[in-house]
Amino acid sequence: MTAPGRTAEDSVFVRTYTLTRGRTAPRHRLGLETVLEAGPGRPGPGQAEECARILALCRERHRSVAELAGLLRRPVTAIKILVSDLVDADALVVPVTSPYAASSVDSGAGPSPQMLAAVTAGLRKKFPDAVSYAHAG
Amino acid sequence: MPDNPVAVPRTPARPQTGAATVLKIVIAGGFGTGKTTAVGAVSEITPLSTEEYLTSASADVDSLEGLAAKRTTTVAFDFGRLTLPDAPIPLELFLFGTPGQDRFVNLWHDIVRGAVGAVVLVDTRRLAASFTPISFFEDIDLPFVVAVNEFDGAHRYDLCQVRAALDLPDRVPVVTCDARDANRVAGALLTLVHHAAKNTPASPRHSSLPTSFQDV
Repeated sequence: MTAPGRTAEDSVFVRTYTLTRGRTAPRHRLGLETVLEAGPGRPGPGQAEECARILALCRERHRSVAELAGLLRRPVTAIKILVSDLVDADALVVPVTSPYAASSVDSGAGPSPQMLAAVTAGLRKKFPDAVSYAHAG
Repeated sequence: MPDNPVAVPRTPARPQTGAATVLKIVIAGGFGTGKTTAVGAVSEITPLSTEEYLTSASADVDSLEGLAAKRTTTVAFDFGRLTLPDAPIPLELFLFGTPGQDRFVNLWHDIVRGAVGAVVLVDTRRLAASFTPISFFEDIDLPFVVAVNEFDGAHRYDLCQVRAALDLPDRVPVVTCDARDANRVAGALLTLVHHAAKNTPASPRHSSLPTSFQDV
């Protein structure tokens, strides 16, 4: 290991570590695509400035974990850790959406045929000029 | 990331009507194949560059030289969002642009878990850059289509030649695309969704439980 702060990358790493107060894993099982909305709770005292930014972003509209990480320019795991804190404080909630349609969380199977048909219909309405190649090859 | 966190608290979630269903689509390809451009062509937000630390566990598997010593290495992906309010049910597509290298990195498994499938963008001048994502998606059985990005000035190969060069089976669709053109990218997405539907069993083996929390 190099000395702390020796390179720019090291110092970014240290800053992130400080941001999460030394934690390296989130308490909640959050996916990159997990969507978050602002909730009724308030975060506890002494939260990182990034928590306020996350809350402000989620008050504008619901945001995914991946989007928050991109907007805050922080690694995904750091964002998951902060989001977990905010979920614990009920300051963020995970809306229950229609089933994501995987056959099970563990198998990682894809969406159902019904869901795929809905995607096709939605894409065709949004992009009426798009041409798909059903039998491309 | 721990496989089994010691205590996973119940996460408060509130029933909500009208919340859009989220689906993931992967846009993969080697460096410079136009992934970010393609994500940006259909995304309603400017593609966000998002990063994650490369974990030490994957560093061992990857056996890239010097990785073990350089623990702050990051991997990056693009994120875009496409709302489909006029679908039969409100849908949001999350688009993940990934280099597809470092296939052992946990992050890629997080990205592809539960995804509709992947569009692999190909630059015919650098076909080899597509080998890793293609073999990765074949290995994990994720539906994918190959989209040849028609770069200005690049030679136009017959798609059969591209298929042969990439050693793709007949069932994998190969299409042309212009990553800058929303309609052409949407066409590639439609081809993918159609392909994924053909590969999905018609029998309803799907759970009806709300599953906002997909992984870790």
